Order: sequence, then structure tokens, then C-alpha cells
Amino acid sequence: MSVSPVTPPYPPDGQPTLALGIWAEFRRRFAWVQEGERLKETQLFLLLAVIIGLFGGLAVVLFRIAIDWTKLLAFGSGMTPPWTRLLMVPTIGGLAVAYLVIRFFPRARGSGVNQTKAAVYIFDGYIPFNTVIGKFITCALAIGTGQSLGPEDPSLQMGAGIASALGRRLRLSREKVRLIAPVGAAAGLAAAFNAPISAVLFVIEEVIGNWNAGVLGAIVLSAVSSVIVSRWFLGDQALFRIPAYHLIHPAELLAYAALGVIGGVSSLAFVKLVAYTRPRLKALPRWTQYVQPAVAGLLIGIIGIWFPQVMGAGYGFIDQAMHDQFTWQVLALLAAFKIISTSLSFVSGTPGGMFAPTLFIGAMLGAAVGGIEHHFFPWLTGGLGAYALVGMGTLFAGFLRVPLTSVFMVLEVSGNYSIILPVMVSNTIAYLISRQYQETSLFDLLSRQDGMDLPSMEERREEVSVHVEDAMRTYQANVLNIEEPLKTALARAEASSESFVFVEDGAGKWFGIKKEELRRQAAAAQVGTTLRSVLSVEPLPHVHPDHALEEALRRLGDLPILPVVNRANFHKLEGVVGLREILQVYHAVG
Amino acid sequence: MEPERKCPQCGRKIPWGQAQCPFCPGHGGYLWSLRRDTFLLITIVFLILLFVVTGFAVRIYHDVEKGYAQEWYTHGEDDLRAGRAEAALTDFRTALSYSHDNDQYQLRLAQALMMPGVGSAAGSEARTYLQNLLEHEPGNATVNLELARLAARDHAVPDALRFYHGAIYGEWTDDPVVRRRGARLELVGFLLEAGQKDSARAELIALATDLPPDPALQTRVGTLLLQAKGYDDALKLFHQALLEDPNLPAALAGSGECHFQNGDYSQAARYLARALQQDPHLTLAAARLNAAQLVLANDPFNHRLGNMERARRAAADFGLALNRLQSCSAQKGVDLKSAGGDPLQTLYTQASALQPRAQQQNLSRDSELLSQAMDSVFAIEQATARACGEPEGLDLALLLMAKEQGGSRP
Repeated sequence: MSVSPVTPPYPPDGQPTLALGIWAEFRRRFAWVQEGERLKETQLFLLLAVIIGLFGGLAVVLFRIAIDWTKLLAFGSGMTPPWTRLLMVPTIGGLAVAYLVIRFFPRARGSGVNQTKAAVYIFDGYIPFNTVIGKFITCALAIGTGQSLGPEDPSLQMGAGIASALGRRLRLSREKVRLIAPVGAAAGLAAAFNAPISAVLFVIEEVIGNWNAGVLGAIVLSAVSSVIVSRWFLGDQALFRIPAYHLIHPAELLAYAALGVIGGVSSLAFVKLVAYTRPRLKALPRWTQYVQPAVAGLLIGIIGIWFPQVMGAGYGFIDQAMHDQFTWQVLALLAAFKIISTSLSFVSGTPGGMFAPTLFIGAMLGAAVGGIEHHFFPWLTGGLGAYALVGMGTLFAGFLRVPLTSVFMVLEVSGNYSIILPVMVSNTIAYLISRQYQETSLFDLLSRQDGMDLPSMEERREEVSVHVEDAMRTYQANVLNIEEPLKTALARAEASSESFVFVEDGAGKWFGIKKEELRRQAAAAQVGTTLRSVLSVEPLPHVHPDHALEEALRRLGDLPILPVVNRANFHKLEGVVGLREILQVYHAVG
Repeated sequence: MEPERKCPQCGRKIPWGQAQCPFCPGHGGYLWSLRRDTFLLITIVFLILLFVVTGFAVRIYHDVEKGYAQEWYTHGEDDLRAGRAEAALTDFRTALSYSHDNDQYQLRLAQALMMPGVGSAAGSEARTYLQNLLEHEPGNATVNLELARLAARDHAVPDALRFYHGAIYGEWTDDPVVRRRGARLELVGFLLEAGQKDSARAELIALATDLPPDPALQTRVGTLLLQAKGYDDALKLFHQALLEDPNLPAALAGSGECHFQNGDYSQAARYLARALQQDPHLTLAAARLNAAQLVLANDPFNHRLGNMERARRAAADFGLALNRLQSCSAQKGVDLKSAGGDPLQTLYTQASALQPRAQQQNLSRDSELLSQAMDSVFAIEQATARACGEPEGLDLALLLMAKEQGGSRP
């Protein structure tokens, strides 16, 4: 390891100063941070993950305070503001947000999830830092003035933006800069949700799309450090007060199944509404983009006169729904109006997230379904809180189409393992209904509407994977022994139609030789010469039947065929696979 | 979308909206010219600064929130005092939205939610707040007491017991002795309402051990002991109260009731008469005195009586019982003269057989016969009480004697 020489901390007069001393010590200790040390870049990446987590946590804390402060200033401190404010504040806020977005922060539009994915897959992890600033200002203004959007997805993008800026300034490699954005995204989301596991899972499930071991550790580190920061400043209480839950009767699962059906249908309606209206509003003349958020704000304000709960993120009201503060009729109306108001806010181009509204709608629907069931079957159902909680996961699964995150989010938020059964039942049903009637997930749909073809994580999860066993064929020749005399070996090889024959050394290592080459060597060889003397020193690469076909392709190189060996018995040849067989399979699966 | 552009220096795609490659040094200004370690140091310094700024901002914001919370809490208290429970709920909820983990606000909101007329669903919300508080402070007596009240409202006896005991043995911030006593008295009231008299008696006996010399309190606990059928313990408390205040009507009536329930009708009559002298409006005491006097006047087993008087009383009681038997059987539609399995018919057959001999003169000579006649009287009174309900007047006196297994019979 080369360490760059460190200048002694002495000024020209020969006397060390404290500042110089500290500086020299720092440089000595962080000498490994210098460029050119490949191994150290991994360590730097992990250190950076923690720093990103801390920055992400701080940004989210400030973001939440900014939202709350804006809300306080705009609506006053009471829970039921006067109707004049309910109409004026979102309208004026909408105008201001539209101006800022169009004039200064065009990339702050949208929720932030697709923008982060675009950074990873299109722009080598590049997210300009002014997007972070823009997202912070415009989202705080939008959510604080009552637009029906949430702070989580913007937090995710802000985290990714901070990470991208740091990664670039530290001149990480292209690969690392691309990976650093999801690390920041996890930090932002974890701090906003106060739920690190869900954040990590969401980023893996929706942004990265696979369990990349190289980045998983960094994502976990950043998520944990950001949550520590947010809890430090904002306290460690959960987003909601979780009511006690226990399954009253196994038949209650039927009630949760009904919730799954209703949640699935509602998710579908929500996605269809966004999918239908968004491109139509985007197609309107450019000047209308200045007023669209204001019009959306005005309409939301009108709804807010009767249902102020639909304005903003609405976490306080989710909490109230969990504790039986609304009748099922009110809950159902709140869910319906939240779908309308969130769609209005989102399709008008107002920046802000979809997570909180999804949770809100889910909680209201869940509690409404629980209320109805409790009305008709009081002996069968538990508290409404459990239904609200399961409802949140259900909408998450149906609307955002992140099944794994949806289950773990409810578990993490509730801290109650026994709720897993209803959550799984309800989420699976909602997810399947949504999948059945809406082929493309929300995020993929939005990215396609924006003219980008980002990789669909859902499609990627469900890709048909082909394995070596799908392509391998029977080996038509005898397996030769490495100690066999050349002449005998040639005679045995000639008995088959294979042009490339395998040799096994008795220790599970496989070698190969072209029949033509074998003939040539046999002709020139003396009596008693064995196969070992004419084979290459390096054994052939081999594959197992369950290996992905891509792996076989990679290992094949210039070889005509590869041995497919049993995993438990390396002496046993299961078959062979060559380029022709691989291409045939790819052709067959399309 | 603008056409894709690649950086001639590093080969990367130049993102949309960027004039120059953002990845290459030289385009990013001063920060790009720094070495990694220098930049890392600056980052850490900036991180520390941001920590300070965030801490400062959070503190200011929390102060603002605290101010609003206190303001809304005060509104809530005002609304509560003015009887505007719904408005108070909104105020307390608003206060809590600014100070989520304030125990005082949570407790006050829970208490407001439990007020009558707030709505049946409010109990669940109140329970959540209270359980939350209990998790923070399991020994908080006030929270335990509120939870006990909720459980009592839902008739959940084990939970109510658990929380009431939590309140009794928990930590009270002000006047713990009085508050503990109050909680225990509330528990006793709940137990008596739930029909758990044995448990109520146990609680009252524990309570009675350290009562201050307060006649009103002693009388109150004694009265509860009476309800829990702890007559001897109640009597002790009434006597203690009477030592402090000999003319306390409730204590006198309580003592009379205890003696009455113990079958000591002469003492009962004495105390009850004194109680009525002090307070003529004590209706139960008056009824008890009347019954006690009737028992005393008709009990043939009083040891001070001569043979003739004893026999006269027994003969009169026998006649009275026969009348009661006939009126009850008529009420129930039972024909006493025909044979059947009805207990009233059996008793009538036995009494009819005894009637010719149950004359005053025979009874004065034959104590065995007197005993037999009175046994028949008691059996008739008990059977008719079962069949036709509690009697009144003399029949009630006879029934009371029967309950005491023969009045003052030796």
C-alpha cells in the first residue's frame, strides 16, 4: 500500500502550530482516502454511506419542520381553520409552487422515486444538487399549504441527491456514483418514515431491483444512521399510536380478505385516475402549468371545507382513524375524497409524494371496512385500529405494487408480529387484483408517460429465468480418464459423434480436448504416453444444472461445450451445454 | 428530450439540462479542485455545522409547539369548566398534536373522553392514551384508576380489579392516603355492583384497619360493610363512630341494622329507636324497628316469659301461620285439602293434624308440643315466603324468627 508523504506540521520558522498539527494528523489518518487505492474505495463507500445517512437524516428533520412551520403559518394553530383560509392558502400556495418549479426547479416535479431511478439507470447516478434544494422548498410549500401529498418520496429524492453530490465530489468511480444514489434514497426514506427496514426494502424492491451485496451494507448503514438522526431530533415515537391487536377468531381472516378485495379495487381506481388525467393535463398549453397546482389547491380547499382531513399528509388523522374517532361512513368518504384530492395534486404537477396519501387512503378504507364488519358481525371483528393498519399495507401493495415492503412496513410500524397473517392475506389479494387489471405499475406508468423506459422492477422480479438444465443435452461420448494411454483414449473417442471430448482426472476436475487434436497428438505420441501430458494444465470451467444460462454463457468463452456437473458429485456428468443449445433456449423463450 | 451528449473527457452521458459534464474535475469550481481528504474534512465540518443548525431549528420549533400546546390545553380546560365537552376534546387533541408525548395532555384528553355523553367509541381512544401512559409509568396511580374506571364501565372484572389495585398501591402525587382510600372505596362500590360481596368485604376490612377517627368516614365504610354482609366488622366501625359522636343517626341506624341482621332484635330495637329519635326520616330504620318490635312481641322463646304467655304467643303464631298458608295457597291456586306433592299441601296436612292440640292450655303444659307447633309455624313461613314472596307485618316477624332458627329459643 502506498501512502502519500505527509508534510510535517511545521511552518517555515520551524515551530509547529496546533491547527497545522491537527490538519497533518487528519491527513495522516485519512491518507487512505487518496485516489487510486481500489480496495480503500470500498471502505470510503461505507464511510460515505454513514455520512450520507447523517446528512439525509438532518435534511429530513429540517424538511419536516419546514412543512409543519409552513402549515402553522398558513393555516394557524387550530385543527379546523376558517373556510376562507382553506380556499385561499392552497390556491396561493399552488401558484407559488408552480412558479418555483417552472422557473427555477423543473426537476423537482413528481414524487421523486422515478427521478431517482432515472438517475441510477440513465444518468450514472447524477442528481443535480439544486434538485435537492428545489424539492425541499417546493414540497414544503406544497404540503404545508394543504396539497394532498406526502413528504416521504421527496425525502427519498433529497437523500439520493445529497448522496449523488457527495459521491461526485469525492470522485468515486462511475459504478459507485451510480450506486450511491439508492444509498441516499434509503437514508431519506428511512428518516421520513422512521422505519429503516421498510426503507431498505423499498429501495431494493423498487429502485435497485435486486439484492446487490455490494450496496446492501451501505444502504442499511445509511438508513440506520439517518433514522438515528431523525429520532435524536424528533423523538422515537412511531408515526401513529398503534392499538393492541389480536386475532379474535380465525374467521376474521375472511374480513381481512374482504379488505384486500376492496383495497385492490380502490388501488386500481386510484391508478387509473392518475394514469388517465396526468397525460391530458400535461398536454394542455404550457401557460396552464402555472395555474394547474392552484386550481388543484382550490378544489382541495373546497373539499377541505367539509373534510379538512384530506389536506396535507394527514398522519394525525390516520392516528384518529385508528382509534375509532370516525364512523365508517365518514371513513369511506375520507378515503374517496383523498383519492380525488391526491390525484388532483399529483397530476397538476405539484411536487410531493404518494406514500402518505396511500397510507391515509389505506387506513381510512381499512377502518371503514372494519367498521362495517363490526356493525354486522360484532363477535367476529377486533378493533378498527388493526383494520386501519392492515389497510395501509393493502393500499401500499395494491397501489405502489411493492408487496414485500408493504408487509414489512406494517410489521415495523406496528411492532406486532401477530398482525402478519391478516396483512399477508389482504396485501396479496389487493396486489393480485391490481396486477390483474392494471398491467403496468404506477411508477413504470409514470416513467413511460414522461418518455423514459426505466427498468420495471416488477417485470424484472417476474422475469422467466432460464437455467442450464433447460438447455443442456446428453453427452454422446465416453468420458476419458486422464491416465488413459492416448491410443486407447482415441479409440474410445472415435466411437462417438462428439467433436470435443471430456477427460476427468478422478478428483472432480474436468478437462477437454478436440477430437482432431487428440488424433494429431496420438499419431505423434510414443507408446505409453497418457492423456495428462497433452492436456492443458488448467481444468475446464463447469456449470451445474441450476446455474443461470447467462452464467453458462459467460463461462463458455471460446469453448465449444461446457460440462454440466452434479453439485453433490463432481465426477458425475449430467450433460453438456454449448452456444447452440443456449441460443436455442433464448430463442424459444423469446 | 434533447439528443444524448457524451463528455469528450470521461465518456459519460451529460445529463439533461447540463451544459458541461458534471463528473469531470474542472467544471465544478473550487470544490472539484480539492483533494479527497480535504473535501472529506470540509464535509464533516459542514455536517457538524448542520447538526448545530438543525438542533437550533428543532429547539425553536419545539418551543413554538410547546407554546401552542399549552395555549390549546388551557382552552380545553376552560371549555371543560364551561361544560363544552366536545370543544374541550378538540382543544386537547390540538394540544396533543403539538406535544405528542405530553403525559398530562394525554391523561386530560383520556379523562375528557370518558366523560358522560361524549360517545361510546371514545372509550377505545381513551384506553389507548391511558395504556400508552401506563407503558411509560406502570406505577402511575391516576392512570391505573382511569383504566380501572374504563374496565368497570365495560364490566371487565379482572381488568378492573387489576387496575384498581394498581391505583391503590401506585404512586399518587398529592394526598396519597386519601386518594388510595378513595380508589379502594370506588373498587368496593364496583365489586358490590358486580355482586362480588366476598371480595368487597375483604377490601373493606383492609380499608377499616387504618381509618382515621372520623365518624362520618367510619360510618360510610361500616355501611358498605353492611352491604357486603360483614356485620360484625361493620358493627365495630359503627361503635367506633359512636364513641366519637354518640348521636350520629347513620351510625346508630347501622348498629341497629347489624344487630338486626345478627338476630339480636332487642339491641337492634334499642339502636334503631335511638336513630329514629335523632332522625325520624330514616325509613329503613323505621321498618327494621317495627319488625324487631314485632319479633320481640311475638317470640315465644324469650326466656323472660312465663309459661302462659309463652303458650299464648305460640298459639297465636300458629294461627297466624295457618292463615298465611291458606292465603298463599289461594294465591297460588293450590287446593290444600286434596292430596298432592305440593309442599304447601304437605305442610297443611301436618299443621291440620297438630291444630286440635295447639291450644294455649296444652301448649303451656307441654313444652315439646310448643316446640313442635313453632317448628310447624317456621316451616310454613319459610315455604310461603318461597312460594308467595316476602311477607309483611307479623308474618315477617315470624319469618325472621324462623331464619334465626327459632328466634331466641334456647
